[in-house]
Amino acid sequence: MSRQVLVENIPPAPARAASSVGAPEAGARPAAEPALRVVDLTKSFRSGFARREIRGIEGVSFTVARGEVFALLGHNGAGKTTTIGCLLDLVRPERGQVTLLGRDHRDRASRARVGYLPERPYFFDYLTGRELLEFYADLLDVDRRERTGRIDEVLRQVDMLPDAGRRLNKYSKGMLQRLGLAQALLGDPELLILDEPMSGLDPLGRREVRSLLQDLKKQGRTILLSSHIVPDVEQLADAVGILRDGRLVLQQRLGATADACSYRVRAGAPAAVVRAAAVPAWALAGVDATAAGDATDLAAADPRQLRELLDACHGAGLPVVSVEAQRTGLEDLFLATHHRGGEA
Amino acid sequence: MRRNHVLALARGTFLETVRDRVFYLVAFFGFVMMSSTTILSPLTIGAQGKIVSDVGLAAMTLLGLLVVVFVGSGMVRKELDKGTITTILSKPIGRREYLLGKFLGLNLTMGAMLAVMSVMFLLMLLLSPGAFSLRFGVAFYLAFLELSVVTAIVVFFSTCVSPVLAAVFTLGAFVAGHLSESMRDFGQLQQGFVGQKVATVVYYLLPNLEVFNVRGSVVHGDPVTAAHVALATLYGICWTALLLLLAGAVFSRKELRG
Repeated sequence: MSRQVLVENIPPAPARAASSVGAPEAGARPAAEPALRVVDLTKSFRSGFARREIRGIEGVSFTVARGEVFALLGHNGAGKTTTIGCLLDLVRPERGQVTLLGRDHRDRASRARVGYLPERPYFFDYLTGRELLEFYADLLDVDRRERTGRIDEVLRQVDMLPDAGRRLNKYSKGMLQRLGLAQALLGDPELLILDEPMSGLDPLGRREVRSLLQDLKKQGRTILLSSHIVPDVEQLADAVGILRDGRLVLQQRLGATADACSYRVRAGAPAAVVRAAAVPAWALAGVDATAAGDATDLAAADPRQLRELLDACHGAGLPVVSVEAQRTGLEDLFLATHHRGGEA
Repeated sequence: MRRNHVLALARGTFLETVRDRVFYLVAFFGFVMMSSTTILSPLTIGAQGKIVSDVGLAAMTLLGLLVVVFVGSGMVRKELDKGTITTILSKPIGRREYLLGKFLGLNLTMGAMLAVMSVMFLLMLLLSPGAFSLRFGVAFYLAFLELSVVTAIVVFFSTCVSPVLAAVFTLGAFVAGHLSESMRDFGQLQQGFVGQKVATVVYYLLPNLEVFNVRGSVVHGDPVTAAHVALATLYGICWTALLLLLAGAVFSRKELRG
């Protein structure tokens, strides 16, 4: 199975000011130390009467720098939730190491500055939204004097302040999702781990959550999110790791996919004229010399070729009608990765 | 283990269970008490107070048992299945803290129910001439201890088996716990060495819940010594602690798939 690691580390974003809210400080750490380091994480499960082994994840390794938004992308069952379970010590891996904010993930103090939103957040039915956040504030050792203000702040952030007095069994799925985000933000976390944060939301809800995550990113918080919705990842993440069948098959910066564009240049001349002009041979691939029409489409694979082609057109006196970027997006990358896996 | 974490978990569990219509059972208890007074009065000339108090004390224990078993058996599993537990344990909370908080919350619910039923019980006794006595307090206290041990049993089973099995095993342990003394005595009457040993082993493997049963003595005015109450307290605490330690050991190794 091919394994392509294009980028391992992404430069850290500016460090956020430390907050007084939350449980024991994790201690001073060098700024360059990543927020999350995962090395060779492997986990399988036993299932059924025969205790058949099912592979969860195998040899998953990645690093998330401070201030970065890293997305784990994969289809359902690819191993995203298992990976997240291992990070939070909910699932015990057979092999591998996890460092959360400079501490071993088995040390519970490492979770003091981590906010987590599960895929399908579910809370106590008979508590109100505010009571639930008070409960989590106690678990996070939020200072009693700051508690009410802090709860109001996160409720406002997720636009749930007016509904805070209602019991959770009266909440819609989207409201539960937003309350889940509120509890994740309550301890003013340095690292947010969000499992499918947009799942179950209507388009408006998705836009609101996306906007909230973009604000959190601007604040310099590190975010690890899992998703199988490519456009969401594309808009939010700095880097992506693609999981397939429990293996991390690709790690890449999203800047790199944005650069991966090809271009179509439309010259305002018939094909026969264009072929006769001094344009590079690679630009003519696919051009039918006998085609009728006043315009001919030429291809450039990257910005360097585009520049060369435009210079050639200019030199040959060929008018350029239009230049169109044809982006190779994350979706293409995701699909290509899965097709490669299917063929393997 | 952080006390404020345990107390927060206990409070959350208490609020959740109390609001989950559990107190409907208390209303049912009131109905049982009213009915027993009305129905049994004509049949029990001169012993009305004893009959009403006997029925009342038995009903309190039984309803307390129902709450503990049916709320407790699904408590951990429900949170595992629905994922509530993952958000709790993603905070800096230990798994033993979580279990202890759950136990205390359920115990608090059961204690509050017993307290309300006790007050209703004593009010009903005021209607039966000569039946009211503060010595019933000992019976209430020991019923609470007994149900605390049962709560620890259900918490233990809820960490390792399905809710249905946890309920069945806990009810089984409750019945066997009340019969363990009789089983030991029956074993001593056996001729064979194996029969005697098995009965003794079963006796020591199960909590002897008859230790907490002073209903008969209290109803009939027989004395319950302070030494018995003290020993029963110690016995209840030891069994509860042992069961919670076992539950903690099982739960700390459990995979919690989110």
